[in-house]
Order: sequence, then C-alpha cells, then structure tokens
Amino acid sequence: MPGDTGTRQPEEIASRGRAEVAVATAGGGPSQETLRGRLIDWFRAHQFEVWLTLPLVAYVLVLTITPIINTFRISFTDPQQGGSSLENYQRIFGGGVFRSAVVNTVIVAAMSLVLELGVGLIVALTLHASFRGRGFVRTITLVPLGVPTIVAGAVMLLIFARSGYLNSIIFLIQDIVNLLPGVDWQYQPISLTVSGGVSTLFTVAIADMWKVLPIVVLIFLAGLQSIPEDIYEAADIDGATKWQRFWRVTFPLLIPYMTMAIILRAIDAFRIYELALVLAGGVEPVLGTYIADRYLPPTSDEFTSSAASIVLFGIIMVFIISYLKFVAPRGRAEA
Amino acid sequence: MSVAERTLRRDRLDPLLKVAFPLWVVGTVLLVLFPVYLIFLVSFAPGSALFGDRPPLVITGVTLQWWERVIEGGQLVAPLIKSLTVATLTTLLAILIAAPAAYVVSRLRPALAYTIVLILLVTRMFPEFTIGISVATWFARFGLIDTYLGLILAHLIGSLPFIAWILVGTFETVPRELEEAAQIDGASKLGTLVRVVFPLAAPGIAVASLFVWLYSWNEFLYARLLTTNQNTLPLQVFQAIDRGTLQQMATVAAVLTLPILLVVYFLQRYLRPGALTGAVKG
Repeated sequence: MPGDTGTRQPEEIASRGRAEVAVATAGGGPSQETLRGRLIDWFRAHQFEVWLTLPLVAYVLVLTITPIINTFRISFTDPQQGGSSLENYQRIFGGGVFRSAVVNTVIVAAMSLVLELGVGLIVALTLHASFRGRGFVRTITLVPLGVPTIVAGAVMLLIFARSGYLNSIIFLIQDIVNLLPGVDWQYQPISLTVSGGVSTLFTVAIADMWKVLPIVVLIFLAGLQSIPEDIYEAADIDGATKWQRFWRVTFPLLIPYMTMAIILRAIDAFRIYELALVLAGGVEPVLGTYIADRYLPPTSDEFTSSAASIVLFGIIMVFIISYLKFVAPRGRAEA
Repeated sequence: MSVAERTLRRDRLDPLLKVAFPLWVVGTVLLVLFPVYLIFLVSFAPGSALFGDRPPLVITGVTLQWWERVIEGGQLVAPLIKSLTVATLTTLLAILIAAPAAYVVSRLRPALAYTIVLILLVTRMFPEFTIGISVATWFARFGLIDTYLGLILAHLIGSLPFIAWILVGTFETVPRELEEAAQIDGASKLGTLVRVVFPLAAPGIAVASLFVWLYSWNEFLYARLLTTNQNTLPLQVFQAIDRGTLQQMATVAAVLTLPILLVVYFLQRYLRPGALTGAVKG
C-alpha cells in the first residue's frame, strides 16, 4: 500500500500546481489579485474542508437561522393587510394573560435561579468534602439528569397535589414531632398545584431545581476543585475561621463558575415550558405556555405567538447583557 | 506540614458535625432519589394507595394492573417505537452531519474555532419557540406533521450545535502528528479522517451520541408542535396528565425513565467535574 499511494502525493502537488497555473493564465494577468481568482484558489486548496463543513452549515442556515429571521418577520407582519406593523405586539401587551405571563416568567426564573444556585452550592460543598462512599453519592446525585423533564413535572404533581406525597411526609414529621412530650401539632393538608399564585409557581421552581441539580453541582464541583490547596493553607496561617475561609477564599474564587451557572441556567429558566405546563398549566401562565397556547389549535395564531416568542428572546438578552455588564465585572473586581 | 496533616486539618469536623454530616448526606441522597422512587411506587401501587390526605409512602401489595391496562390500551407500544426510532435516527444523522464539520473546526486557528463554536451556541439562546413556530408552520405545509422525518429534522436543530461543541473538543485531543504521519505514509485526507481520526475520537463520539439520544428521547416541545395523533412517549405522559389517571401517568413515565437511568449510569464516568473546566477557562 505505501508503494502505490506514496507516488500519489507528489502527483497531487503537481496537479494542484498546474491548476494554479491554469487559473493564473485563464484570468489573463495576475489573477491571484482579483477576488474571484483568490476565491477559486482558496476553494481549490480547501475543497476537502468545505465539503466536510457544508452539511452542518447548510443545516444551521436553513433550519435555524432562517426560521429565526422568519419568526421575527411574522411577528412584525400585520395579520390582516400583510404589511409590517406593531399590531401583534400591541395585541399581546393589551391582554392581561400576556402581562401576567411575563411577570410569572420573571418570578419563576428568579426563584429557580436562587434555589438552584443555593442548593447546588450546598450539595457541591457536601460532595467536595471527603467522606466514605463519596463516589457513590456523586453518582446518585446525577440521577435527575436521567429523568425526562416531563417526568419531573409528573412527579412533582404527585408530590404537591391534593392528597400528594408532600402531605404524607409532613404528616410523618408531625407524628415524629408529636412523640415529644407536650407537643401537639395538627397538620392541615395542603395542595400547591391548583392554589394559584406564587405557591404554584414555587412548585415549578422546585421541579426545575431538582431536574437541573446535577448540572449546577458539576459546575460548582469543577470550581471547587480548581481552587489550589495552598491558598487555604495561607488562609489557615493567617488564622482564618471556617466562615472566613468560605466567604473570603472559596466564594470569590467560585465567581467565574457562578457566572457560567447563572447564564446557562437563566436562559433555560426563562424558557421554561414543560414543567410550567404540567404544574401550573391551568392556573398560572408563563411565556412558554402562553406562546404554545397561542400557536397550537384552537387559537392557531402564528402572529401573536411569534411576537411573544420575540419578547421572550428580548427578556433573555436583556438579562444576560445586563448581568455581564453590571454584575459579573463587579464580582471579578472583588475577587 | 505533611500532606496527611494538611488533609487532617482541612477535614477536621466539629463533634456536632460528625453526627450531623452523615445524616445530611443520607438526607440529600433520599431527596434526590425520592421522586424516582415515587414514579415506580405509583405505577405498581393498588389504586387505593393514591387516595386520602395521606397517601402511603410504602406499599405492601404490588399490582401489575396499571402496566397491563396501559399496554392493552395501546398507549405504550406505538409511542415507544416512535420515540426509539426517532431518537436513534436523530443520533446517527447528528453524528454524520456534525462530526466532519467539527473535525475541520478543531483544525482551525483556536480563536477562529472558538468564535465558530460560540456562534453555534448562541443559536441555543433563542427560545425554541422562536425557531419552532416557523419550522412547524413550514412542516405543516410540506406534510411533515406526524411523520418521523419531521420530528427527526426538528430534533437535529436542537442537538447539532451541542454535539458540534462536544466534538470540536474531542477532535482537539487527537494529535495532529498522527494525521501527518498517516499522510506521509500515503493516506488520503479522507482516509486519514476515517481510519485514523474517527477511531481515535470514538469514545468522545460515543458520549456525544448518548447526549443526543437522551435529548431526542426527552424532547417535548418540538414533538408537541409537530404531532397531532402519533404521540411520542413524552407526549403520552402529558396526555395521561391531561386526561388520564395518575397511575397511567406514572406507568408511562416509568417506561420513559428506565432506559435513561441506565444511560446515565454508563455516562457517569465521563461526567467528571473536570470535564467542564475547559469550558470556563476557554
């Protein structure tokens, strides 16, 4: 095999040389200088790479970029006359359901982010400490990653609904507490999924927190492992207490990882759909469920649903840009 | 100070913590596992187990009646086949489309490669609905609603940027010297790619495939926009929530969860915290 292919290499080089000569002569004069000539040369030199990238580039252009531009266009199209107008935006902002969907989306995203970062950090700190069976516990913590989002919603329905398992657990705690002499606690069963308001949104945030816990924990664990041991030694020598060690050493050094976690999670938290549909679908709209309701039958309105999806995109962008501009740099300066 | 002394000092626990910490770890594990336990509990529990203010946390009798009903009612097999087929074909196509391109990107100048990956990931910042509304409207026009092809094409939208990102990282770890050696030995560019680079990147490609498979198997939003009557498994769970019983819901959800738990078990050795360090530093 080396014999027959070994001779191919110089041939290839030779033929490429000929092609370049051909291009140069065909153009009449120094064609490498003209844009077309240079493009042809470049394509000849990189033909292989171009063919390899073409499928992905074509796919992203046709089925990602074009739909995004098209949805923008639809959102600014007048549903009756077809010209461009702000009619769709005026219609959605005029409706009470849309306005409460925007407010609810922001509330859910804020609650999810606080819960996820707080609990994620605590669990990551726990799993960073060395104890027997740590590997096993780390594996267990990954389990929610393997549970489909819709299933996470279904489970939370079982937990938070009327005659749900949250009540069972609190009853169990009640029984244990009542074993103490002089304590008589009578628990009244609650139902959070249909009560509406913040408590229903809270179940959505809890479901989201449980589902993405592994991702947040992995990010924070990566951060904790990146902190060099000698910094802690230096802090110990300076007589830092445990509390100071966390707030003055660990926390500031975790900030880049926190930024990553916040941005990754915020994008998804604003876009929340399945969990809100399952847990709050009937009572509290969020933007995700609002958009789907407008688009799907019986409403089947692609105009207002497009406009609402653009508003959702705007909210995500505003959050990320203002976070990177105002919050992240300050954290870095302190660190 | 010796290493042992140092670790001792760092992990010195207060007496209270010595008791509380194991309890805390056990509590965390229970909280993480409880929802998964519940899904299986409800799918095997007698119907009476779900009534009253205080549904039992432990059941004594196990019944298969919900599984039998769901299977006999045709709510399981057809969606299962659709979900399996779509997830598998999406994975194959995603690798075929993304792997060659990711290889090329991994051989570009680092700054350029980083920019391209960033552009791909930015498309993931758009709400799926912004893409999905247009795609669903077009697919309806071309008769792709309720077809496997339509759903596979939609799932590729969500998975290609992600898999390209993972694969660029994978190909970067394949040393260029090996390619040069292969080409000096006379291998063509394509031959080098197929016989040298892809085999060396196989573990990374396998992990990326699993992620795509999981994504497609879980996917709900595009499936909902592109389906009117041939449900996938996630849609079947939602249908049970919408107008079925809780037991139906739990049973279909259990089927949906089972294979993924296995996948995560296999994935866990690749899910090291260190795997994400590069993404932050880069």
